[in-house]
Amino acid sequence: MSPDGSTALTVPQQPPTSSRLAGLARWPWIYTGSLVATGLAALAFLGMLGLFAVESLPVWRHAGLSYLSGIEWFFRVQRFGALPMIYGTLAVSAIALALAAPLGIASAVFVAEILPARLRIPAKTAIELLAGVPSVVYGLLGVILLRGWMQDVLAPFEPLSGDTLATAGVLLAVMILPTIVTLSEDALRSVPASQRQAARALGFNRGEAILRISLPQARSGLVAAVLLALGRALGETIAVFLVVGRQDNQWPDRLLSLEPLAAAGQTLTSKLGGSETHIAYGDPLHWAAMLGLALILLILVAGVTLAGSAVAGPSSGRAAPGKSVRHPDA
Amino acid sequence: MAGRSGHPSTLAQAYALTCALACALATPWVSAAAALKVNGSSTVTPVVTEAAEQLQGQGLSIQVDPAGGSSGGISALGDGRIDVAMSSRPLKASDHERFPGTDFRSVAIGYDAVALVVSRDVWEGGVRQLSREQLQGIYEGRIRRWSELGGPDRRIVFFNKEPGRGTWSMFAGWLYGDADKAPLVSFPEVGSNQETRSKVASTRGAISQLSAAWADGETVFALGLVEGDGEAIAPTSENVTTDRYPIRRPLLLITNGAPDGAASTLVDFLLGTQGQSLVEKHGYLKVAAPPTAAAH
Repeated sequence: MSPDGSTALTVPQQPPTSSRLAGLARWPWIYTGSLVATGLAALAFLGMLGLFAVESLPVWRHAGLSYLSGIEWFFRVQRFGALPMIYGTLAVSAIALALAAPLGIASAVFVAEILPARLRIPAKTAIELLAGVPSVVYGLLGVILLRGWMQDVLAPFEPLSGDTLATAGVLLAVMILPTIVTLSEDALRSVPASQRQAARALGFNRGEAILRISLPQARSGLVAAVLLALGRALGETIAVFLVVGRQDNQWPDRLLSLEPLAAAGQTLTSKLGGSETHIAYGDPLHWAAMLGLALILLILVAGVTLAGSAVAGPSSGRAAPGKSVRHPDA
Repeated sequence: MAGRSGHPSTLAQAYALTCALACALATPWVSAAAALKVNGSSTVTPVVTEAAEQLQGQGLSIQVDPAGGSSGGISALGDGRIDVAMSSRPLKASDHERFPGTDFRSVAIGYDAVALVVSRDVWEGGVRQLSREQLQGIYEGRIRRWSELGGPDRRIVFFNKEPGRGTWSMFAGWLYGDADKAPLVSFPEVGSNQETRSKVASTRGAISQLSAAWADGETVFALGLVEGDGEAIAPTSENVTTDRYPIRRPLLLITNGAPDGAASTLVDFLLGTQGQSLVEKHGYLKVAAPPTAAAH
């Protein structure tokens, strides 16, 4: 299907350099339609960003940068500090990634590299079905099964209840696992078979070929899989809402200690999903403070998604050029 | 799976099919848009939901949604997004200030009490009553263990109702004279009565505020309250009817202007014999014999 060949058949008078545009001109509705669709999609995002930025202006005027760095949120006295919620969101997502990334990539390796071809599709489909389970179902399972179990697991930290940042993180890990598995599997499958054959011909065994050829070459795809899963984790609302405890102002004394993870907390999404949004409606400053949280969340998720696409974009599916592979026995 | 690029006619067919499906799905939604929208307190919701089901037989379409609690319902009414708000707290001056263009009218359809409920281990550990001072101590974080209150040696897990909930307003109002004077505290929060009951029941050492109608005495247990030197008053229906139990509240339906059309049908139904028996069935008290003065 060379573009030159196809145009030569239909529009022979066109010079070959503009053949692609000429081909599109034959179906102008496809060209304009897709342009309009793309434009609308891009505008929807920019419009949302603009709307949240404008609507949240009162809180930036009221609190300045302390809206981002403040650790106290008491709306009754108009004190708005979003930092504990940003911490909550990042902590919950970090726990989810720490659990789901190794597990997801490991099962992707098994499905892509080890499982026989006829079992690969059923196995992958079963995992992908997990991605279709509505998040409120995960949330209810979390309430029924996970809360009690996590309280026992976290017993050394003496959590007050089973509603903790860690509980939300574990639940999220289950939810993002299928994303990581399926995207990582795609990345591993896109490493050309000839590379594996060459590795085997050089005397690598199967494990060495996976560790030294497949995984390194699929690296950008694997990173993208993890980043896209992170995007989902940051934005997940209802499942987190049900098990995170929704306790405001949980800024830890020691930032990197594990103890605060065994306590209740609040994420950006659980705050936005709660009834405070309804109270805020009608009070311009309080409303602005809530929309400011939405703006922060939007920027976080967009940033992670962009990073994911940037990593995946240029080199996925292609062997990294100029990379030498050292034989383990050499 | 077929080839990468779909044949144009296949694509068009798929598109037409999608449109047809979307239209088919949208049709019932469009007709439901004419329904009476009722939103607000999860305490009032069960009564109104069952009334709506019974009125459906008479061709009345009513959508009931407890999202957002009392304040959420009042906001939505002030904003013109719904027709009737359900509230388990009286209207406040601040509601009128926020929505000056709305002519809020409320009708009490029943009464409820706010109970302080504890989990089984606390109840069986011997805690059956609390004084206002003891509850203030818990709310302000000065009392942290049940053993300080004659109970088991376990930490107190206080689940606070979300601030928009009528239950919280009534509780904080009783505890500090005025909900706005309650100290600024942060506790794990719970929303609907359903969530509150299940979290208290499944957490050792738990206490929370809950509509008395939901305090079943099997999974969660209602404490007696002590004011001053008085005796402990439990939220039994006798104590609530005779106005001895201190945290009592009206269940309100609020409209913009006097209720008319479907809204007035709903209000009349709930105030009638059938509606009042629904109020009783869900554990609340009838409005027919209100202990003391009443609606706003």
